[in-house]
Amino acid sequence: MITEFITMNGYGLYVWSSFSAVIISCVTVYLKTKRTLRKYENEFLVELQKLSVEEKNKALENSKVAQQILAASYKIN
Amino acid sequence: MFKFFSSSNIYSLIQKLINFINSIFFLILIIGLTFALILSPPDYIQGDSVRIMYVHVPAAWLGLACFSFITLLSIFNFIFKIRNFYFINKSIAPIGLLFTCLAIITGSLWGQPTWGTWWAWDARLTSMLVLMLFYVIYILVFKLLNKEELIVKVSSIIAIIGSINLPIIKYSVEWWATLHQPASIKISGSSSIHSAMLLPLLTMTLVFLLYGALIFLMKYKTEIIRIKKKNIKRI
Repeated sequence: MITEFITMNGYGLYVWSSFSAVIISCVTVYLKTKRTLRKYENEFLVELQKLSVEEKNKALENSKVAQQILAASYKIN
Repeated sequence: MFKFFSSSNIYSLIQKLINFINSIFFLILIIGLTFALILSPPDYIQGDSVRIMYVHVPAAWLGLACFSFITLLSIFNFIFKIRNFYFINKSIAPIGLLFTCLAIITGSLWGQPTWGTWWAWDARLTSMLVLMLFYVIYILVFKLLNKEELIVKVSSIIAIIGSINLPIIKYSVEWWATLHQPASIKISGSSSIHSAMLLPLLTMTLVFLLYGALIFLMKYKTEIIRIKKKNIKRI
């Protein structure tokens, strides 16, 4: 039964290649997108740290995005 | 109303949507794969090679849907100059390219056992290849040009020209004698696909849709952070 499932009555090579191509491409794109997102989040945090205390507080007060990125970084760390 | 569409609110919503998709994605993926690879019956002519349909068709549908959406937003952006549409299009294009490439690759893998060839300059296959080239050119515009205004103009023109290809893809199997089979699923009129195959196909389409939405949201979130980073001192 397992052999039948793997060989797919002679079409296994084509079926498994198709599903593998889809899974490998999708996982690669997902990881690349996630890495880019993390990179920009980290760069944003670096820029935020460069600000003076006053500017940083103002940025955090006015921007929910800044607050959320900072909160997410604390969660990860 | 406009306050709701502020980048802060959109950012929070994106995060919630990403969490939601992450929580249901693997369950639907496992259901879809179980149906596609185990439970669905083999075709009476094509045998088990028909299982390639469960990745080929959703990829092709979404490749077309992404370009249609890009065209629509490009037209709106051209008229109403809404900056958000520019970022949405920039985030969708790579997903559309991925799905179109996957449709071509899996179609080629399906073509070999079914037609006896990996590729033929058939109307449907060629028009899908043209769509892929339009995606490549569209993405290159964002990579190669610097001025946002110029990018909006050039990319919109490319999207509008490329959209001429969309009905050609759709009706190529009816207008010309092609190797590719006509559509089995019709929005209007009766579909010729059995429910035992339709259900896995729709489940796998949902999987592809969720995956596409997840990548789009992550890319769109990256764009918001990129803009915020650029204007950090003006926050």
